[in-house]
Amino acid sequence: MTRKGTLFLALAVAALTLGVLWHLHRLPVVKEATMAEVQAEAARGGYRLIGTEELAKICQQPPPGFLLVDTRQAWEYQSGYIEGAVNFPMEPTWWCRWRSETPLAKLLGPDKSRLVVFY
Amino acid sequence: MAVKLGYKNVHRDPLGVPAWEASGRKLCTECATLKRPAAGPLAGPLTGWTLVWTLLGVFAGGMALNLTPCVYPIIPITVSYFGGYCGAAKGRLLGHGLLYVAGLAVANTALGVMAALTGSLMGSLLQNPLVLVAVAGVLVAFAASLFGLWELRLPSSLTQAASRPYAGYFGSLFMGLTLGVVAAPCIGPFVLGLLTWVASLGSVWLGFLVFFTLSLGLGLPLFFLALFCGSLEKLPRSGEWMLWVRRLMGWVLLGMAAYFIRPLLPETVRVFLLAGVALAAAIHLGWLDRTTAAFRGFPWVKTAAALVGVVIATLLIGTWVLKGPGVTWQPYSDQALARAQAAQKPVIIDFYATWCAPCRELDEITFHYPELVKLLNREFVAVKVDLTQKGNPLYERLVQQYGVKGVPTVVFLDKTGRERADSRLVDYLPPEKLLPHLVVLSKE
Repeated sequence: MTRKGTLFLALAVAALTLGVLWHLHRLPVVKEATMAEVQAEAARGGYRLIGTEELAKICQQPPPGFLLVDTRQAWEYQSGYIEGAVNFPMEPTWWCRWRSETPLAKLLGPDKSRLVVFY
Repeated sequence: MAVKLGYKNVHRDPLGVPAWEASGRKLCTECATLKRPAAGPLAGPLTGWTLVWTLLGVFAGGMALNLTPCVYPIIPITVSYFGGYCGAAKGRLLGHGLLYVAGLAVANTALGVMAALTGSLMGSLLQNPLVLVAVAGVLVAFAASLFGLWELRLPSSLTQAASRPYAGYFGSLFMGLTLGVVAAPCIGPFVLGLLTWVASLGSVWLGFLVFFTLSLGLGLPLFFLALFCGSLEKLPRSGEWMLWVRRLMGWVLLGMAAYFIRPLLPETVRVFLLAGVALAAAIHLGWLDRTTAAFRGFPWVKTAAALVGVVIATLLIGTWVLKGPGVTWQPYSDQALARAQAAQKPVIIDFYATWCAPCRELDEITFHYPELVKLLNREFVAVKVDLTQKGNPLYERLVQQYGVKGVPTVVFLDKTGRERADSRLVDYLPPEKLLPHLVVLSKE
């Protein structure tokens, strides 16, 4: 190993460490969006939007297979959640989407037509 | 995302919890009270098999201590000392070896007995600035010796005394005693936990037993080194790379020295000192050092050591740079509490001391977590009580009033100023675990 090679390796490792540190320290992304943006996103994503009242009605008489998913951070969930919700922390970043695809599929189960509500 | 996975009946409630709460509906909370951390190390009498197992563990720990760089400088001395006995009969050599280890044990055991006698004082004593500086001084001296700046050598009078038959036995004992005393400050920090544990047991006899066992474990390899002194000379010369290993050990000791005087330094200096040592070690061991070795892997070992140093330095500085602002604390005063009550704010009171490691952890990690800082600064009155030094009458009264048994203790008062007895904190708690309780407390 030449000394120059070692130097480059050291710099690379230092950069990598910084990257990992930054990743660990960064804040969870919270998107503040207007209603129009939310609607556009829902149309793109192919899901429907639901209001508080409507959700409350569903919660009172949940159809079979109904699943309520709380996508906020674990501590937010623990400090108060809608009854019956399960916690599945998600952030609107590609990294998070890519990472949580399999666990999400496991959470939702094999029934593809069940009623799922995210909040 | 769920749609992509093939689910057809997917909905999203974009307003979520805030709207749910605003409409007067209730939320579930699972954990309104903090789980009490398990009580510290059992401070009951040790008897029977528990004692035997504990001692066996301590013995193994003592053997493991030989891997620390502290013991390393002792090895050449031991070898050179027992080199004088090489011609002697096996029985005599055995006697000398045993006495040597006994001397070492007595010196270390004194430490344990002292801890047991002084009780909890030991913890604060070991954080006394003078003691810290002394420990760091010994570490730096050892490091200098490993760098080859000076040689740890026996006084010639001792070696001469060793050659006489009866004075010799005494000499071996004395030798072990001296080395024990010299190495104690260096080993002490490693056995800090054991020391405080022994102190909490409060039994002199157990303190003696535990540390005697520890020293036996520590001395065992040295004992064998003494026995086989003759054959040691026949071992192949380890070569130049051993010098590099000595330097590595030296840097580890310097790092330890910097670590131990940490409580005495302001935060910035602390970070840069440690990072500086790590970086200097990396540069010295990886680039400046010209040592070569006969075996092929050596350059890789050197590179690896350099990389480890660089990573440690980056981690230290990176964490420091990326660390956001902390909680705005104010020193305790009755007025602050009264103001909080008038403003209908809950209060968090943090009893801490600079020498306590979990307190530092709480402060540096939990009380620097951005979400938690935001919440505390907005909804709470945060008060700190510094118990590092005894004798402040106001603080003594608080310790009495809140029944504080040790540090850290974090007490929460609700909006009416009453303590939430169910959510007291007596150990480190990660921010994600503490946050829900704070949210609940601020909403009540």
